[in-house]
Amino acid sequence: MIAELVLATLFGLLLLGIHRKVIARIQRRPGPPVWQEILHAAKFSFKTTWVPATASRVLFIGIVLVAIGIWTAAFFVMMTGGSLLVIFGIYMLHKIVEHAFGLSSGSPYGKFGGVRSVISAASEIPLFVSVAAIALFTGSLTLSDIIAWQEVHGPLLIIAFPAAIAMYLVLLSKMPFGPFSIVEAKELVSGYKTEHFGVWRAGLEVCNGLKTTVLLATFLLLFVGQLPLLWMVIGMVIITVSLSFACALTPMLSPFDSVTIQSLFTGVMLVYAGIVFLGVAA
Amino acid sequence: MQRSAGMLVAMGVLACSTAFALHWSGWIPVWVFAAIVVLAFPPTVLGLFLWWMADEGEEDIPFIGY
Repeated sequence: MIAELVLATLFGLLLLGIHRKVIARIQRRPGPPVWQEILHAAKFSFKTTWVPATASRVLFIGIVLVAIGIWTAAFFVMMTGGSLLVIFGIYMLHKIVEHAFGLSSGSPYGKFGGVRSVISAASEIPLFVSVAAIALFTGSLTLSDIIAWQEVHGPLLIIAFPAAIAMYLVLLSKMPFGPFSIVEAKELVSGYKTEHFGVWRAGLEVCNGLKTTVLLATFLLLFVGQLPLLWMVIGMVIITVSLSFACALTPMLSPFDSVTIQSLFTGVMLVYAGIVFLGVAA
Repeated sequence: MQRSAGMLVAMGVLACSTAFALHWSGWIPVWVFAAIVVLAFPPTVLGLFLWWMADEGEEDIPFIGY
């Protein structure tokens, strides 16, 4: 499973490269090669590195380890068909990790990025409702049970379409250059990761690659079910390309608008979950 | 730095390999194997990067506002 862990990281970075390439082509730019993010990670890992004088040394380095560690844990939970709550608990934890990244450096850009990551926690609220709707339909929060339920009743993508849309919105909020990417807005340079350069940034790239693979694979497992490996890969590429279209054609929202739209969507999802609950209870 | 990073990588690889071997032979359950890898994988990756990176630089003060 260690080989799978490394491959998942590289594949996630490749997906992020495809994401950049598709956005560039939509905007009529040549764009970088699709393996650019893998090269980025390698390039950063070779660079001269140090810890800035203003940084909290323990937090500055430790948070990179935590970032990789939590998504390694999420990868194992996904691979073993474990609890959905653990995966989304880790997703929530990632917000705190982003916050710690920003605060550890002592740079105002990093701090603002960290603060915005807390604001953008609004993107997690549709996720809760999505998880609740899945639990109401399947009667379980274990990934293996949800997959087994879909083998009998059909994919949740059709049965619980609004829940799939809600999680798609969550995926969108995690993609770079998207309408909800307020933590990495250009006015903050690189946001929470501004001061993490060299080896530390390479570590963050490893985390991003793993996170992308885990989130996209979890989406497919939750709403389509267990697929052969080749179809999983094709499915993840298709979702990435669709997210790239959404990112390329939508301007980045201001922090206030980002939170407002996500809160409005949460309201709609709450109504949907209420209807599902009443239907299940009846 | 390079020597300590190399040691870190060696220990991480040893921990992951041992955990894999023990899990494969049925000595430890999958969650123990996963816990060991979750703890060992991040320092192994960072250790590897610190081992092969260019020379360590002098720490500096980033832009801290006007």
